[in-house]
Amino acid sequence: MVEETTGTTWVRIQEGPLSVEEASKFLRVESAGAVNIFLGITRRWTRGRETVLLQYECYEAMALAEMVRLLEDASVRWPIERSCLLHRVGEVPAREISVIVGVSTAHRDAAYAASRFLIDELKTHVPIWKKERYADGESVWVEGSRPGNTTQT
Amino acid sequence: MPPTKNPDRQARVLLFSMLREEIGRSELIVDVETPISVRELLGRLSTSYPPIRKAGGSIRVAVNLEYVRGDHAVKAGDEVALITPVSGG
Repeated sequence: MVEETTGTTWVRIQEGPLSVEEASKFLRVESAGAVNIFLGITRRWTRGRETVLLQYECYEAMALAEMVRLLEDASVRWPIERSCLLHRVGEVPAREISVIVGVSTAHRDAAYAASRFLIDELKTHVPIWKKERYADGESVWVEGSRPGNTTQT
Repeated sequence: MPPTKNPDRQARVLLFSMLREEIGRSELIVDVETPISVRELLGRLSTSYPPIRKAGGSIRVAVNLEYVRGDHAVKAGDEVALITPVSGG
């Protein structure tokens, strides 16, 4: 488990189940009127194929650094009271939580916008990969997003 | 006798997910006696490792935990990572 927290931001990468209650407690401060918690969970069916679990792998040090940068970025764009990004790695069976994106703000507009931004950016830039294990035993790396638009050459 | 490893002249290149599986290594060591650009490093690695060549432009490179561009100079002691398209969340 790796973790980085300031007074108002919290990033963690861990194996084992994530706690929505823990995230909620962190986010619910007096200055916030709105708390938005997004959960990414393992979906069981994709195009008629049954998923048993998703297996997550990450470049831990950089994933942590990127997630910290993301929360800082979001705090510049919106008036965020508290925010958290919690990601699970290892095996995540169907219906279990792989990621918690949490934001609390004074009013809800910012909470919705920031939450959407954070999950979209996480899925585009953070060095985490997942492999889908199907009921028939086959495992396939999920097609991902290439971080950034700048070309290498 | 094989040449001794000299970390003062080397950079580590970390591999993940598909690249790691296809190459069978999670880390490569490259000689970087004088700094070389990321572009050139990828060129060298593409020559030696077909899966890297095949991944081509889908690879983003990070050096010391930050994404960099093709003209970034890699020097001895750097931690380089080849980041294939990500799928977190």
